[in-house]
Amino acid sequence: MPVTDKTAAAKTEAAKIRRRNWKRHLVHLFLLPALLFYIWFQIYPIFSAFLNSFFAWDGLKRGSFVGLENFVRLFTESPFQETFFRGLGHNVIFFIGIVLTKLVVAFVLALFINSKIRGKEFFKMVIFMPKLLSVIVVGFLFSLILNPTYGALNTFLKFIGLEELARPWLGSPDTALYTIILVNSWYGLGFAVLIFLAGLQAIPSEIYDAAKMDGASGFTMLWRMTVPLAMPSIMVMTILSFIGAFEAFELIFAMQGSQAGPYYSTDVLATYFYRLAFGSVAGGESIGLGSALAVVLFLMISSATAILLFFFRRKEYEQ
Amino acid sequence: MRRVGVWLICAVLMLVVSACSSSSPSSTSGGQATGAAPTPAVEPAKGEPVELVMYSWRPEDKEAYNKFIAEFEKKHANIKVKFKPFKSTEYNTILSNSLTAGTGVDIVQLRPYSGATSIADAGYLLPIDDVKGVQDIPKAYLDAARGSDQKVYGVPLSINSAVIFYNKKILEDNGLQPPQTWDELIQVSHALQAKGIVPIAQAGKAAYLLSIAHSVIGTSSYGGNEYVEKLLSGEVNFNDPAFKESIRRMQELAPFFPPDFIGIDDKDAQALFYTGKAAMYINGSYRLETFEKQSPDLPIDILPGLAKEKGGDAPMINWVDGSYGIPKATKHPEEAKLFMEFLASKEFGQMFSDDLSRLSAIAGVTPKHPLVQKMTQLSEKSMAPFLMLVHFGEGTPTTKTTFEDSLQGMYIGKLTVDKVAEDTQASSDKWFKPKK
Repeated sequence: MPVTDKTAAAKTEAAKIRRRNWKRHLVHLFLLPALLFYIWFQIYPIFSAFLNSFFAWDGLKRGSFVGLENFVRLFTESPFQETFFRGLGHNVIFFIGIVLTKLVVAFVLALFINSKIRGKEFFKMVIFMPKLLSVIVVGFLFSLILNPTYGALNTFLKFIGLEELARPWLGSPDTALYTIILVNSWYGLGFAVLIFLAGLQAIPSEIYDAAKMDGASGFTMLWRMTVPLAMPSIMVMTILSFIGAFEAFELIFAMQGSQAGPYYSTDVLATYFYRLAFGSVAGGESIGLGSALAVVLFLMISSATAILLFFFRRKEYEQ
Repeated sequence: MRRVGVWLICAVLMLVVSACSSSSPSSTSGGQATGAAPTPAVEPAKGEPVELVMYSWRPEDKEAYNKFIAEFEKKHANIKVKFKPFKSTEYNTILSNSLTAGTGVDIVQLRPYSGATSIADAGYLLPIDDVKGVQDIPKAYLDAARGSDQKVYGVPLSINSAVIFYNKKILEDNGLQPPQTWDELIQVSHALQAKGIVPIAQAGKAAYLLSIAHSVIGTSSYGGNEYVEKLLSGEVNFNDPAFKESIRRMQELAPFFPPDFIGIDDKDAQALFYTGKAAMYINGSYRLETFEKQSPDLPIDILPGLAKEKGGDAPMINWVDGSYGIPKATKHPEEAKLFMEFLASKEFGQMFSDDLSRLSAIAGVTPKHPLVQKMTQLSEKSMAPFLMLVHFGEGTPTTKTTFEDSLQGMYIGKLTVDKVAEDTQASSDKWFKPKK
């Protein structure tokens, strides 16, 4: 074959490959709208918060680059430092409270519904129903129920002769945060029950039959078999609850406003962030500090979630 | 695949560039200097009607504004104004988001004093010194809507007075005289409490209500304007015994507030007052309209701040309650200026005062409502500023916010009187420069 023919054939082959490659890459083009949407609404806000946190702000006007100064102030300067650690403490209480009042109760309810009882579909529906409401509506309804002057709860307690138990549930620093945690648990219970139920239903019944034949007690089966085998759903709910507790905002905002009163007794990092970043038009350097807090919150949640995932995965592997 | 990666990097770089470029408009704004001769705004050409969107933090005034706007639209058939009110406590967030986004709104209600100044300084507003009628508004009121460049950025809306509303019938039925001094307020409160009546319907869930109450109760104890002057010049500060005494008075009043008042909303407190369960209620004069709507037959009268001694001057605590301005990003600046002209007119001021029972900031408006007239007369006799709002609305959080939140902390037993004063001073130390 002459050299010129060989070159022409190679060129044609290369052109074919290019065309094939081009067609292969064309598929990426179809992803572009979704990708742009994702970048614009997900990546850009996070990125812009990172960026804003490195600048000085005067009200709504961005000033000079100040490096890590906003972060340093957040952790060392009064009152930012106290407010941050108080909020963080409340987030931790929120998480523990949710684990105790939502996850434990939801697991017990899921066990109950998973057993051979009549009308379990009805119970499932009733337990899930609050989740159908908007969280803002739930907050508003409970603000009315818990109102110290005319609220249904105090009126009921007085009616049944337990007047000494009536109190300003949301107006006292001793009860406000715990009250909100309980409302949050009531609201999210149904979802947790569904997740646990899915986990429990995936456990083959033969295992229990074999254990019964070996003489295992009910508690032993629960502790040695049900809990370990339901670990994937427990893991999912614990991680979701952790994220939920550290992102807690809507319910507190709906019930106590952005000041998270009384005197910050229900203040968590998200409400603190809201006040810092948006609370005041005349907010001085608020946007820089607020962005720094958003970055800290993002890093905290993502790293803690990664640690939790690692812990649970190892636990799963060990089993 | 590598090319897709390159495109992605390009997209991210574009975002970096767009984010690095200033996100706020330049602070150097156009417009005429203060004192320039007013030039009438140009009526838009006939054609598709222009819609101006107007933000406010007064949902309760919607009906009245619809009436005012109808008057404006009668004269300017080609302009439609859409009144969009938001909940007062969430308004700042909504406003800052709208201004930053630069779309969607043509007229904005501005918080007074530092609230307006910071937005104007950030370059988000159009100066309106040249709008007809603006320069006729008293200078002290325009000061609540100026930028640091001394240009006017808003038409002041109304003058608020912090007052004690009282139910005349309850006091008369119990043989009590309206209190004029601190001692009399305590005596009257004791007498009312003994009869099972809540003396003062105070709410504390929203802490700002506590600083309004403090301005009424505390001004005479720290010494009114004289103390304010010394405070502004740096001669005294918030740790001064006189100021601490004003906080102590607030603490002493707690037993006369409704039970668990820190947990109740202002709406609950209002209901206690207009249903006759409470004898007094402290708030801004804007609540007059609320009470008259809720309970038209309620026999209300008002008291200004307390006098230092019997027969002495009882100062009326006043402040400008916001103004209306034009965002620089509006697509209809000329039409918006025409609306500003309307807001600055005596015609609007009179309607505003008559329909909303408020004191207008527009010169020459004569209030029709006898109680608004009384407020005007009392203000002319003796007046003091709402100290925290007028002079201490800056800082992060603002000194005003620090003070009112600390008062809330005091009521729930977390802070002492001294600590409230110390925290307030610490907040003002961060930004306040005394005028020597």
